[in-house]
Amino acid sequence: MPRFLHTADWQMGRAFSRFETEDGAALVEARFEAIEKLARLANEHRCDAILVAGDVFDAQTVADRTIRRVFNATRGFTGPWVMLPGNHDAALAESVWTRARRLGAVPDNIHLALEPGTINLEPQGLAILCAPLTQRNTYSDLTATFNSCETPEGLVRIGLAHGSVQGLLPDEIDSTNPILPNRAETARLDYFALGDWHGTKQIDERTWYSGTPEPERFRNNGAGYALIINLSGPGELPAVTPVETARYQWHQWRQTLTVESDLDQLLERLQALPEPSVLDLRLDGSVTLAGEERLINALSVAEARFRSIQCDRSGLQLEPTDDDIAALKADGYVGEVIEHLRTQQQNDDAEAARDALAVLAGLLKERKQEISE
Amino acid sequence: MKLRRLQVEQLRQFRQPFVMDDLQPGLNLIHGPNESGKSTLVRAIRAAFFERYRTSSVDDLRPWGDSAAAPTITLDFDARQKSWHLVKSFLQRKRCDLTIDSTSYSEDEAEEKLSELLGFQFSAKGVSKPEHWGVPGLLWVEQGTGQNIEQAVEHAGDHLKSALNSLVGEVASTGGDELVEQVKARWSELFTPTGKPRGDYQKLEKEREEHQREIDGLQARIQKYQEQVDRLGKLTHDYERTRQERPWEEAERQLEQAKERYRQVEKLEQQQAQEKEILKHLQSRQQLLRQNQEQLESLNRKLDVRKAELEKAQRALEQAEARSPSVANSVQEAKSAYEAAAKKVEQARLQETRSRLEQDVQRLDQQNRTLTQNLEKARQYQQELEKAREQARQNQIDVKALKALKDTERQLKEENIRSQTIATRLTWQLEPDARLALNGEPLEEQGERQLLEDSSLLIPGVGTLGITPGGEDLASTRRRLSTLEQSLTEQMKTLGVDYVQQAEHRVMAYEAAERTLQHTRELLKSVAPVNVEQLLADEKETGARLQAAKSELQNSPAPEPGQHARATDVASAEAGRARAETRLAEAEAEERKHQTELLTRRQSRDNAKAEWQQLQDEVHSPEHQKQLQNLSTELADIDDKMGRLAATLKAREQEIQEARPAILKQDIERYQRSISTLRQAQEERQRELRDIQVRLEAWGAEGLEEQRNERVAELEQCNRRYQELHRRARALDLLLNLLTEKRQALTRRLQAPLQKHLDHYLSLLFPQATLEVDEHLRPGTFTRGTELGQIAELSFGAREQMGLISRLAYADLLQEAGRPTLVIMDDTLVHSDTDRLEDMKRILFDAANRHQILLFTCHPEKWSDLGVAPRDIQAMKEQGSTNPV
Repeated sequence: MPRFLHTADWQMGRAFSRFETEDGAALVEARFEAIEKLARLANEHRCDAILVAGDVFDAQTVADRTIRRVFNATRGFTGPWVMLPGNHDAALAESVWTRARRLGAVPDNIHLALEPGTINLEPQGLAILCAPLTQRNTYSDLTATFNSCETPEGLVRIGLAHGSVQGLLPDEIDSTNPILPNRAETARLDYFALGDWHGTKQIDERTWYSGTPEPERFRNNGAGYALIINLSGPGELPAVTPVETARYQWHQWRQTLTVESDLDQLLERLQALPEPSVLDLRLDGSVTLAGEERLINALSVAEARFRSIQCDRSGLQLEPTDDDIAALKADGYVGEVIEHLRTQQQNDDAEAARDALAVLAGLLKERKQEISE
Repeated sequence: MKLRRLQVEQLRQFRQPFVMDDLQPGLNLIHGPNESGKSTLVRAIRAAFFERYRTSSVDDLRPWGDSAAAPTITLDFDARQKSWHLVKSFLQRKRCDLTIDSTSYSEDEAEEKLSELLGFQFSAKGVSKPEHWGVPGLLWVEQGTGQNIEQAVEHAGDHLKSALNSLVGEVASTGGDELVEQVKARWSELFTPTGKPRGDYQKLEKEREEHQREIDGLQARIQKYQEQVDRLGKLTHDYERTRQERPWEEAERQLEQAKERYRQVEKLEQQQAQEKEILKHLQSRQQLLRQNQEQLESLNRKLDVRKAELEKAQRALEQAEARSPSVANSVQEAKSAYEAAAKKVEQARLQETRSRLEQDVQRLDQQNRTLTQNLEKARQYQQELEKAREQARQNQIDVKALKALKDTERQLKEENIRSQTIATRLTWQLEPDARLALNGEPLEEQGERQLLEDSSLLIPGVGTLGITPGGEDLASTRRRLSTLEQSLTEQMKTLGVDYVQQAEHRVMAYEAAERTLQHTRELLKSVAPVNVEQLLADEKETGARLQAAKSELQNSPAPEPGQHARATDVASAEAGRARAETRLAEAEAEERKHQTELLTRRQSRDNAKAEWQQLQDEVHSPEHQKQLQNLSTELADIDDKMGRLAATLKAREQEIQEARPAILKQDIERYQRSISTLRQAQEERQRELRDIQVRLEAWGAEGLEEQRNERVAELEQCNRRYQELHRRARALDLLLNLLTEKRQALTRRLQAPLQKHLDHYLSLLFPQATLEVDEHLRPGTFTRGTELGQIAELSFGAREQMGLISRLAYADLLQEAGRPTLVIMDDTLVHSDTDRLEDMKRILFDAANRHQILLFTCHPEKWSDLGVAPRDIQAMKEQGSTNPV
């Protein structure tokens, strides 16, 4: 009854450039924690082994410290780990793996599948057919050799590969490192553990992408899981259980504000979001000066609550109402300027006009407050 | 606004009520001397409006020393079609009462009405200051401040603008300028005044570049790293394959084969070289023999040549010998010609000497004769000189004494004559034999005597007659006469003469002798310039030289008579000798040459003969004949051997050619190189593998890609921040531009009416000039012809005039906007010249059609042609005192 944990695409060494330094660091830290969490889960689920289907590292030349920390993070699970080089960390003549070995960072319980072939974990009852990437890009199906690869009787045949299953994934995924969709069948695999696709995805009853354990982009919904696979024996169908591993949820919202209630709705949604969130918000449409003020207040609150919130308002026009303008007491030529900017928001340089209007409104409001004081 | 009546009391010098009424709607000229209260009236009007009734800061209004006074001002005026009556009291009685038509206001409410009417503010505390004065500050010109318009316009700014607003129908923004300043301040945080990014904005731009550079650097290194990794992969593959295939072994086998073939060819080539050497040897032997043979055969020809040479030399010798006598002859001739020429030269020299001596004798003889003559003459002159000297000495006389003598003589004569006239005359005529004796002296026949002294006349026979001469002076005359006679006698004695004429003769003789002496001296000097002794010496010397010359002539040999009778001169004789000498030298040289030639030819002939003889003997010897025969035999033998050897060589040469030794050699080199290249390539791979591995290990440790990712993150942060600032910058830029633009547009619209009024007055003062209103509605740039500048740069007078017309323009503007206007001028335009003042009067008169103008002055005569009657404060005061209110 072999049981193992399937994970992939850790992408260690990645930096999160679109966030503020502090947020980026926290997101990096979360990835190390994810490894520790995987080890913990494997223990909890009494797994025999952990298979990592490629892209452990985001690049070949990551810092020594990163290499050491990755292997340190695996200590929680003392059973065998099998790590497969993916396209980011291919087993080249000189690679992150050879460096890890030179550094002496790789614990004995971790098997590096640097060459195509089979790793037999007899005590665990697993024969792991590995198709590591040994070049940066491969245009042939490396798993083709699985078909002719024999494994000892009594061990379940597990395929471990990194690449794109042909014809199933969206086109935007590059077509390098192709994998035959029914490889599990042709190679008589009991389970086929895949990496490269960052969301958890089932290809067929024996073939799965585990996805990355900690989300790192806004696309690919379904990231943040690991798979626990139970195999009752060779030839039996696997029982696959996704287990959540993510610390942060990544959200990307696109919203158009037209009427006052749109803004209310948005603010409610914001309110409902859990704290460990990374939010990318893009707004368009238009908002009144009062609405803008509410929005800014709400974003300010959200900034403190969430891990990160980014809001792009460049498409959101400022539409001061007559009341707004009256409230600002913008008479004379200042009034003309406001009118001019309102109109200009419809034209080419809408962004500058919108910002200018915001600045002007801010100044007028300050003045109003001063006067009223 | 029209001020009708003004009353003040208990105010400075106006302790008693003072009234100025019947003020005209247009111009009012109010004059009074200094201290008469002109400025006090102006101050009173100002106080009535500007000062709060309850203020205690108006002590200056109080009459001097009157602490109980309540300065009170009462004004009656028309404004807004209503009649206004204002009574304002300060200090002791603080009150303000205002009646508009029939409605009354008091205290603060009254004051508010006033400030609203005229457009000014009250001071919150203390006395009212210029910044409170608003519109009146602009229209009420204090003494000496007419030119300072900027401040006044600024203080009236809001009122002016609101007047303009109502006029143009525009609304200036409330606090718009402040807003512009705020935007400008925010803009300045991002931009330098010239619009370049500054501060963070600029720094970020730089940082971005720096990050990008770093990333590019890292990216390049990553690229290199990856290339090296690829290279490592390929090298490892190549190295392993080569290690198994060992491609150099095949090359080594081929090398051996090529070497063997080459060794065989080399052997052939050696044989060939040996035989070629033999052939060469034979060839040289053959050549040597042929040379010998030829040499022997050539001896006969040489003998003939020598024979001919001998004959030729013999002939030449004979020819030379034949020329010998003629050469000797010509030398002889040249020699005798030379001797003759030499003789001729000698004779010519002799002749020349003699003729010179003869000339000398002749000349000296002549000289000697002249000297002898001179000597004789000199001696003669000397005698004459002595004679004349003697003459002079004898006749020497004192000329003064002579003159005295002559005087004495003349006096004597005169005295005699006088005595004759006074003397007693005695005449007698005696009988022939009568005798008489006078004073003892017998008298005869007849005669006459002058008697001066007592005389006795003896008449013989008769007795003696005494005669005593009478007359007064007789005695003195007689004495004088005798004195003169005595003196004359003495003088003559001194001079050594017997009579006077003798003395004169002597004088003449002396003078003649002196002249002779002078003349003779001159003559002597002409013949003996120094003296006679020198002349004598000269004569002796000349004589001696003559003697010497004569004897020399005697001794010199006489030229040979007959020969060369007329001897040629020495120079041409010398030339003749030189020519003869040259000819002789030539002849002698010719002879020497001839002798040399003779010797040479004889020698040549002897040599030629000896050589010919030697060869003749050799050729005819038997050894020579035998040598010739041996040589031809040996030559035939060698020819045969050479023929055979050549055939062998040709055959072998072909064999070598076919084996292509050069190509074989190249093959060997090629195989050798291939082997070393293959081995080296493999070693090179091994070395490179090691190098790359070492390098990659080092580079890998740097974590390049992770570094790059971090840099990219930094760059993006930088970018985000930059974009934020950039957006803000663009927004501020846009906003500032818009605000400025709109504000300018507004200002331009607002300026237009004011400009119109300003132009109206300016054209009266300075035709052709322009004065532009700036954005703060102040007169700004002034142009006149080619002049261009600010008002502040003009003269004081011109500035004051400009200030005034600007104020009038503001008044027009305000009036046009329905605001009340009252123009007050306190002694203005004192700095204007007559012409300008004339123009200003026209302007004032023109303005007075629209505004009430109060013009206070202490120079009423200057304003006499203003078209209004001047009002005298002094007179009004007196009138007031007679008619107390």
